[in-house]
Amino acid sequence: MKVLALNGSFRKNGNTEILLKQALMGAEAEGSQVEILRLTDYKIGPCRGCGLCLFRENVCQVKDDDVSLIFSKVTECDGVILGSPCYFLELTAVVKQLIDRCWILGHQTGKIQKPAAVIVPYATRGWIPYISIQSNLLLNLMGLKRINQIAICTQGISEVVLDQEAMDSAYNLGKEIALAIRDKDFTYKGEEGVCPSCHDWLLRILKDQETVECPTCGVRGKLSIVDGKISVKFEEKAWADNRFQPEVAYNHFTYHIAPSKDYFLRTKEERKTKSKKYREYLPG
Amino acid sequence: MTEYIVKLRYYPGDPLEEIKEGDLKGLAQEYGVMISYQKIENRQMKGSLLMENTLDKQIEDITQEVITISADGEKNLSNSIRALYKKYRCPRTAYSLLGSNEAGEKIAKGLINIYGGW
Repeated sequence: MKVLALNGSFRKNGNTEILLKQALMGAEAEGSQVEILRLTDYKIGPCRGCGLCLFRENVCQVKDDDVSLIFSKVTECDGVILGSPCYFLELTAVVKQLIDRCWILGHQTGKIQKPAAVIVPYATRGWIPYISIQSNLLLNLMGLKRINQIAICTQGISEVVLDQEAMDSAYNLGKEIALAIRDKDFTYKGEEGVCPSCHDWLLRILKDQETVECPTCGVRGKLSIVDGKISVKFEEKAWADNRFQPEVAYNHFTYHIAPSKDYFLRTKEERKTKSKKYREYLPG
Repeated sequence: MTEYIVKLRYYPGDPLEEIKEGDLKGLAQEYGVMISYQKIENRQMKGSLLMENTLDKQIEDITQEVITISADGEKNLSNSIRALYKKYRCPRTAYSLLGSNEAGEKIAKGLINIYGGW
């Protein structure tokens, strides 16, 4: 079995790399082969939004970069550990760039085949609200299931080695991934959140001010205060709407995305006429 | 008098609950509008999934449920659409109002902006 670490940090031997390597040591102790990729060492171009990967199966027009190599590494391994520092509320730009390129993998969503874990070192408590959304999104799009996540409060370069508890938790995370692969047990082992599906604590209040939604899963529920504590009730039927369920993902691509080709073609002349002045104005 | 025609196109998985013609009749009576319903089903079972190739088909021909609302008053139309959105949620695609007339589409789209999240 092989565990692949994807490092979303530019810095060599920084906290993210140290924690990922510590996790890989844990995986190795359970018999895994290991590999680490620093994503910033690879060329990851922006998605061009051409839609051809959706309309012509498995064809990405960005051919002069390393994204297909990264995806092939994910395909070849048995489990993934994603690491990224959180600088401003989110994961790093290279991770987000990779998310955008996952259109080509879109139909893998929900077809969970491999376990994954996430490591996020960050500097200030309260500055990491969106890390779960982004990590869950990337992992799900790549056909992976997150079984745990650790966020480590640490700041200066390589300072995390001073935090033995953090180092132990990273090591154990690596062991967990290896054991999950071995036992084919991808059940979630991390801290529970408000959303029983993605285990995140974020909620979005819809404009009707009656409904809340897990922004990651898209599942809707009702919020109430019970004994002074916020409680969210997700109805049973709402789980069928989880965007990472295979059927929901299939419907999204089949009915929300693919038919746009017809709309695109039938509005061709009108688009051409109305967009002419923008082509001519400040030409790039 | 302005005539409003709105077509709401719901694709598989879009409505939060089953669309029943009886419920639509009740809403039409309550809000003083005309509501008709059309179901188009072109999926076929493959493995455990109902599947369909939609890439080269016309939007109107793929599997969907179309609720058509006709009204001659803006208030009646708005109230009925608001009730439909609350019951089934807003239709979700950029082309889900296709076939509406201009006056109707303007109102339906405005209400999507309020009730459909962002």
